[in-house]
Amino acid sequence: MTTSSLPRLLSTVSNPAPYLSRSEPLTRSISNSVSRLLCSYSTQQHRQNTVTEQEPAPSLSQENKRTQEEEQEHHHDDDDEDGELVNKETGEVGGPKGPEPTRYGDWERNGRCYDF
Amino acid sequence: MKDTIVAGAYLCDEETVRVVCTEGPERVRELIAMGASFDYGEDGNLHLVREGGHSHRRIVHAADMTGKEIERALLKSVVNNPNIFVFEHHFAIDLLTFQDGSDITCVGLDTLNTETLEVVRFLSKVTLLASGGAGHIYPKTTNPLVATGDGIAMAHRAQAVISNMEFVQFHPTALADEGLPTKPSKPRENAFLISEAVRGDGGILYNLGMERFMPLYDERAELAPRDVVARSIDDQLKKRNEKYVLLDISHKPKAEILSHFPNIASMCLQYGLDITRHPIPVVPAAHYICGGVRAGLEGETNVKGLYVAGEVACTGLHGANRLASNSLLEALVFARRAVQPSIDIMKSSSLDITASNFWPHPIVPFSLGSDITGKIGSVTRELRKELQSIMWNYVGIVRSTMRLETAEQKICKLEDKWEEYLFQHGWKPTMVVPETCEMRNLFCSAKLVVSSALSRHESRGLHYTVDFPHLEESERLPTVISPSSHVNSTWSSRQLHKQPMYQ
Repeated sequence: MTTSSLPRLLSTVSNPAPYLSRSEPLTRSISNSVSRLLCSYSTQQHRQNTVTEQEPAPSLSQENKRTQEEEQEHHHDDDDEDGELVNKETGEVGGPKGPEPTRYGDWERNGRCYDF
Repeated sequence: MKDTIVAGAYLCDEETVRVVCTEGPERVRELIAMGASFDYGEDGNLHLVREGGHSHRRIVHAADMTGKEIERALLKSVVNNPNIFVFEHHFAIDLLTFQDGSDITCVGLDTLNTETLEVVRFLSKVTLLASGGAGHIYPKTTNPLVATGDGIAMAHRAQAVISNMEFVQFHPTALADEGLPTKPSKPRENAFLISEAVRGDGGILYNLGMERFMPLYDERAELAPRDVVARSIDDQLKKRNEKYVLLDISHKPKAEILSHFPNIASMCLQYGLDITRHPIPVVPAAHYICGGVRAGLEGETNVKGLYVAGEVACTGLHGANRLASNSLLEALVFARRAVQPSIDIMKSSSLDITASNFWPHPIVPFSLGSDITGKIGSVTRELRKELQSIMWNYVGIVRSTMRLETAEQKICKLEDKWEEYLFQHGWKPTMVVPETCEMRNLFCSAKLVVSSALSRHESRGLHYTVDFPHLEESERLPTVISPSSHVNSTWSSRQLHKQPMYQ
C-alpha cells in the first residue's frame, strides 16, 4: 500500500494482525490464514437481533394501490409537443410505458427483472 | 449513507460509504458529459427512481439498460481517445510482481491473445484491475461467461489481500431451464430473472411436491424480502434434493398475465411452457460478489502499483450486502480516485523494458498436440461443472459448517484430480489456454469463498449459516485473507512464473 493509506488502515485496526504491523514485512512468515480486522464504526446505533432482510417489501395496501394504478396505465402517459412520452405521474420524459418498473423494489419490465 | 450501511448489515466501512455518496454525483455528471444518455423528467432534471432498499428516489437510469448505456458511452470515449490503446481478446493470465524489501510490487501482467494464440507480456508501472465478478463458480448466474474470478485470483496469487468473499448475492427466481418442457438447445449464457413483480402480483411459490412453502419461513410469504425468499428456496431445494421450485401465476386471469408479463410469457412459450396454465420453474442465480481484492480509499491494494475498481474490489462500500445500484457508482468513484496516485507512481517509478525477461514466459501447448489438448479441454469442462455443482450444493445461500467443510474437501480433491490429469498428460506449469486459465481462477475464487464463509461465525447480510444463525457483535468485522505461503500450494494458487521448477 502507499504510505498515505497505511495510516488509514492502521488507524481502523485495534488488534492488528501481525502481517499488518509496520515491523513485520508482508512476505515473512505468511501462512494461508484468515484473520479479522476491526472496522471502526461510529454511526452504528441499532442492534439487530435476528438475521434481517435487506429491505422491507412494499406493504400489502401499497400493492393493491399499485395494481389499481396499473389498470389505468394508459392514462398515465401523455405525448408532449415533440411526440415524446411524458409520464403524468412522475414527469419522466421518454420513459417506459406502463407501470413503474421499480414498484416492487427491483427493476422490472414486462415481468423480467433487469436490475435489483 | 444510511441506506447503504443498513443494507450492508453494518459491515460497511463508513469512510468508504461517505466517499462514494459524496463523490458519486460528480462522477455521474462526468458520464453525462462523456455522452451517456440517462432518462430525464419534464422539469429537465434527471429522472430518479427508487429501488429496493432506498429511502429516496435517487436512481439515475437509462431505460432498462443503465449499465449497457454507461458501457456504450465509456467505450466510445475510449475508442476516440488517442492515448488509450485497447487490446481486444487478450486474456489476462497472471500479474508480474517482484519483492522489494518488504514490499511486493506489480509491474505488469502476462496475457494470451486468444485469437492469435500468442502470449503478450505487458510491463506497466501501474495496473488497475476492473475484471468483475466470479458468478461462474456457480452453475446458475446472471454474469457473462467471462466472469470467472480472474482478477480476484490473479491478485490473490500476487499476494494481494482478499476480503469478504463469503458475501455472494443471489437472485431468488431465475428461470430454471431444466424445468422447461423443451430444453434450450444450448445453455443460456446469463440467467433470465423473474421479477418480484410476479410475486407482488400474487404469484405463489411451490416446491415440486406442490407444497406452498413460503409461509413456513416468513409470515409475509411470497412478499417477504428477496433475500428471505432466496434463502427459503435454497433451503427447500437442499431438504428435498431438487433442482428448482415453481412460481405459479396461472390462477390469475389470462389477459392480465399476458399484459403484465409478456416477456416471461413469450420466453416460456418458446420452450413449451404456457404460464397462464402452468407454473414457472425457477432457481436462485448468483449475481454479485460483495467481496474481492481489498482496496483502500484510492483503490490501492497492498501490492504496490496495483489498483482495483468495480466488482473485483472490496472497498468496504457494500459490507455484507450490496444496495441496489451501488456497484456502478462504486466503480466510477474508485476508478477516478486511482488516477492521481497512478500518475504519481508513473512519475516516480523507474521500471524499464529490460525487466521483461525477469520472469519465465507462459507458453501455448502446441507441443502437446491437438488430441491431448482436446482431451484436457473436455475434462476441464466436465470438472468445471462439478466445481459449480459443489459450490451450489455446499456453499449456497443457506450454509452450515459441515457443508462448508465438505465443500473444502471436495474442492481440494477435485483440484488435485484436475491438476494430476493435466500434468500426467504432459502439461507444463507455464502452459496456458483460456479454459485452463479460467479453471485455475475458478478454483482459486471458489476456495476463497469457502474459507471466508467458514471463518465467519455468525450470520450477517448475505452470509447465512445454520450453525451461527444470528448476528454476533464481536464478529462484525470484515473477513480478510492474507497472502498465502507457498508450501503445499496448488498450481492454481501460484503465479505461473513462480512455479517450483523455477525456484
